[in-house]
Amino acid sequence: MLSDACCGFGGLAMASLLRANQSDAGMQNSLAERSCHWPAKAKSVIFLFMAGGPSHLETFDPKPLLNELHGHKRPAEFGEAKYQQIQGDTTILGTKRRFRKHGESGIEVSDLFPHTAKCIDDIAVIRSMYGDMVVHSAAQYELFSGRLNPGFPSMGSWLVYGLGVESQSMPAYVVMPDPVGALEAGQPMYMQGFLPAAFQPTVFRSGNRPVLNLALPTGVSQEGRRRTLDLIHELNTATIRPGDQEFQARLNSYDLAFRMQMSAPDILNLSKETKDTLALYGADREPTRDYGQRCLLARKLVESGVRFVCVVSGGGPGAMQWDAHADIEENHLRKAGETDMPIAGLLTDLKRRGLLDETLVVWGGEFGRSPEAQSANGRDHHNLGFSMWMAGGGIRGGCVVGATDAIGLRAIERPCHFRDLHATILHQMGLNQHLLTYPHQGRNERLTFLEGKVIEEIV
Amino acid sequence: MLLETGKLVALLTISLLTGSGTDSLAAENSDGSDATLLQYFSERIEPVLKAECYQCHSKDANKIEGGLRLDSGLGILRGGDSGPAIVPGKPDESLLLQALRHQNSLQMPPNRDPLPNQVIADFIRWIEKGAMDPRHVEPELAETDDPKNHWAFQPLSSPALPGSQNPADVRNPVDAFVLARLEQEAWKQAPAVDRAAWIRRVAMDLIGLPLEPAQVQTFLQDASPQAYEKVVDQLLDSAHFGERQAQHWLDVIRYAETEGFEYDTHLPGAWQFRDYVIDSMNRDKPFDQFITEQIAGDELDANNTEYQTASIFHRLGPVRRNAGNPELALSRNEVLTERTDVIGTAILGLSIGCARCHNHKLEPISQKDYYCLQAYFAATDENNLTLASPAQQDAWQKSTEDVRAHQARLREQARVAAGPERSQLEKEAEELESRRPEPLPQIPGTRNNFLNQTAIHILHRGVWEQKGERVGPRPLSILVGAHVPELPLDVENPRTLLAKWLTAADNPLTARVIVNRVWQQHFGLGIVSTPNDFGTRGGVPSHPELLDWLASYLIKNRWQLKSVHRLIVLSETYRQGCDSAHVSDATISDPENRLLWHFPRRRLTAEQLRDAMLMVSGRLNRAAGGPGIMTPVDPELVQLLYKPAQWQVPADSSNNDRRSIYLIAKRNLRLPFMEVFDAPTLMSSCARRESSTHAPQALELLNGSFSNSMAHSLAARLRMIAGSDSERLTDSGFSLVLGRMPNAAEKELSIRFLAEQPLEEFALALFNLNDFLYVP
Repeated sequence: MLSDACCGFGGLAMASLLRANQSDAGMQNSLAERSCHWPAKAKSVIFLFMAGGPSHLETFDPKPLLNELHGHKRPAEFGEAKYQQIQGDTTILGTKRRFRKHGESGIEVSDLFPHTAKCIDDIAVIRSMYGDMVVHSAAQYELFSGRLNPGFPSMGSWLVYGLGVESQSMPAYVVMPDPVGALEAGQPMYMQGFLPAAFQPTVFRSGNRPVLNLALPTGVSQEGRRRTLDLIHELNTATIRPGDQEFQARLNSYDLAFRMQMSAPDILNLSKETKDTLALYGADREPTRDYGQRCLLARKLVESGVRFVCVVSGGGPGAMQWDAHADIEENHLRKAGETDMPIAGLLTDLKRRGLLDETLVVWGGEFGRSPEAQSANGRDHHNLGFSMWMAGGGIRGGCVVGATDAIGLRAIERPCHFRDLHATILHQMGLNQHLLTYPHQGRNERLTFLEGKVIEEIV
Repeated sequence: MLLETGKLVALLTISLLTGSGTDSLAAENSDGSDATLLQYFSERIEPVLKAECYQCHSKDANKIEGGLRLDSGLGILRGGDSGPAIVPGKPDESLLLQALRHQNSLQMPPNRDPLPNQVIADFIRWIEKGAMDPRHVEPELAETDDPKNHWAFQPLSSPALPGSQNPADVRNPVDAFVLARLEQEAWKQAPAVDRAAWIRRVAMDLIGLPLEPAQVQTFLQDASPQAYEKVVDQLLDSAHFGERQAQHWLDVIRYAETEGFEYDTHLPGAWQFRDYVIDSMNRDKPFDQFITEQIAGDELDANNTEYQTASIFHRLGPVRRNAGNPELALSRNEVLTERTDVIGTAILGLSIGCARCHNHKLEPISQKDYYCLQAYFAATDENNLTLASPAQQDAWQKSTEDVRAHQARLREQARVAAGPERSQLEKEAEELESRRPEPLPQIPGTRNNFLNQTAIHILHRGVWEQKGERVGPRPLSILVGAHVPELPLDVENPRTLLAKWLTAADNPLTARVIVNRVWQQHFGLGIVSTPNDFGTRGGVPSHPELLDWLASYLIKNRWQLKSVHRLIVLSETYRQGCDSAHVSDATISDPENRLLWHFPRRRLTAEQLRDAMLMVSGRLNRAAGGPGIMTPVDPELVQLLYKPAQWQVPADSSNNDRRSIYLIAKRNLRLPFMEVFDAPTLMSSCARRESSTHAPQALELLNGSFSNSMAHSLAARLRMIAGSDSERLTDSGFSLVLGRMPNAAEKELSIRFLAEQPLEEFALALFNLNDFLYVP
């Protein structure tokens, strides 16, 4: 059925209705591995989603002028900006963070990230990101799906739709939310939208049974269930005619389900990890334990062939996200404290296992934060210029792309929209944004809406 | 298969044409054929564009200068900030040529000498000859020279019934058309299915539930010539008919009881709309009346509760109510967009939404058309009609005040607190939400508010701040002609007028679109395979005469849909088997089975599957109607909601076993079981259910709590019927779950299994069989 939809059979004229066989690909498993549009540099993506909007001014985009202008009105030459909450009556907020050059590349990183800074030569910092919305939900939809409204497929679903599944034992697209709570855009932000259900994410739950339905119901033994599966297999096989690809795909889906049941628990089990590994991620101590464990799990997942893993930092009320309206110091010290070591651990671990080359790691939130102060020590949302970074997966490390103006208000050099980020991710994964389309409501939809520009400087 | 077919065809066309071997350079002595002109383009024009212009005017440019793209045919025609780059046939009026000649302060390539005269001469000749550009050959468009001639915009025809070479096979008019088409290919239909399979098929289709074995037996033993008719009439009269048929309409209009976006606010009373649709289907309300009530119910009679309920229609789209969204006008614009677009997709079968931002590139729908349609809704406003007495309202007010005051205190404390303490306070305030009393009964209806009506302007690129000409209500010009004037801005009952036009006898779309949806319900694929898109880019009807005949038949039968259902399911075409072995060349040349040379096997929808499991395990609670039901779900799923307190599972669990259509349609929390079997996302119109196959479905059916619970109930039911005898258990299991008896091999396997394994596991296995999951 899926291939029907892919081909947009709606466009077929009657003349071509009776045409050469195209149904071979027709009834196969929706998730069968597919080939790329060009040679891929990366096989998997890990998106480190800093929900709530981390400040670029406190992290990767040093602006000495901010401290000079602290307490003053924004000089007129920087132009206007619309924030979500703060209105006209506010002044520039300086930063208490110190920036220092790191690595051979000498890229400046703030003291919030002492561990990540050590990996800077593997990182390409994009200092000129921008999006279209200044409120969380819409900005989160845009970050994930390229569109401002829910109902469009997220980048993870697009990748699985384009590439199929490599893993023979794990779901293709995994989201690990912050156990603290939900985000504004809710589950629709991660979803497959109008793509078939085969491309939906598997949202991991916290605790030791992260995947729903992977464990046998209580009272059912592994051996007993094996017998049930055998019965299903034999009865279903008996009703299949040769060449019935849809029913063959159903048989295969039971095999895969069984393999997932057998091998997933091993992948999900962190208790066999060495002390060193746990320490590397900070997975053995507070306050890095939770994010460290999820980063470690992310590494194990991509190792087993998962295409897209999203590891969320932040959830629940704003203060528990990177949403530092009230006190940027307190908030960002806390959030960076939870994530810096795990992220550096992830990059280091991927690298030493030779996985970084084929794993694209992306860091960032739905927007940055305002140069102006909100309630004295906080910063409001800000979408006109902020930072994200990418590493691994064929990305040129140790470089900086783009720049904001002298107070970090607006991306002025090489502005990169979310669409450009998406185009770059697809590009590294071997997919052409213009060919990866799906017909919906009379339009061949794509992740990048009209089109994004691959950030050539870093690929 | 990720290439769009259209593109593929276009590429093939080009390669065939360029390989045609004419003397390409001889435009002077050319025959003027398309092939020669295309060749001229690819040899003389395209290389220059590539070498000189693409750097700044293509998708690969760092910044697309002046918004102009020269790497696509449409790009050139559409032009950039200064307008179209070329005017085909008129070189002197073409900006591109002026720029090449360095005229009128235009200069391309910039800061360089003009290109050689010969090159400019080539461009002149190319534009003179019509600027043929293969990069915008759109085969679908090319076939329809003038969109006015597009089949879907033509008046309904009244085709005569075609004759057949085998009149004995023609049970009714549906067969006449289908067989006539098959005879053109010299193909035959598949032999009819046996009665057991047919009754399972027709029951699943019409009421969405399998029948009890006793009902099946009655039919199998009914030797009367009207046996089939009797079954169909019973099913059409069943109260379950509406429960099945309503779901498709709810899919199409993206029905949900919550507003989506971050707050996903519940719309109290929205469920009454679902019951209204079910009831309308059961009463076989004429379809023209049905859509008139939804579009204009409040205008028809503001005191009629049924009409008011129908007007909830306009409240069902996603609504952005997020905090700090500073622009009320933006939100209003989004709401109007939702209300307009759904008329296009659901009723007209046209993707008019594209014309919101620009004249529709692919359809003859202008931006003005779009906003004229939107103007019917300029005064449309929310109208929450309370159904409670003043005394009830007072009591409700009182009981909420305490909770509100408490919440306000907590939120004030939170405002000045920081970090985790602040979050804790916010959380406590949020949790009090569940202590608020149930909302009073109300109808979240619609009214006109002319005092506060929105001025509808043509919006440049669809951006609400960029207002163009103000427009009034008018139907689409492709259907009524551009000369029809706009209605006055303050016209009374604008939506009634819209409904009148939509249901007018000479509207060629409304009846075609709905009979096509009914057809799709029964055959999986519509006569037009794109049920929401009858435009020039949509599918071409496989049986155009049949489509028109059915549409006319519907109108003749006072728009009553049951008449169309009845005709279809009683046809010989519908009675065919799924077997596709009888015509070998059809497998190759019509793999999609558009010509219906066999019955298309279909997987049950998520709702059919869940309902059938409840039914065969004896658990189904057949109660009808009422507020959307929240069933127990994994607590972590609830935690993913921005407001987890919204998910309130009532203590009384008897509602958990109600039919799926009565489960709450909540945009931000869909049941994993439904989701995994392709239930729609509720965000936009779903014209046709997907049917994907993947491992999480197997995991859901094997390990999910719902299927295991059903397996236990089924096992208990089987024990009641068949005791502990393995053979009887097998027979009963097969006939209950699959609607047929087991064959010898199946029986043997099952008995052997039951000798060692628990009955619950056998029951679970039955739910996992192809013959259960698929309509035969």
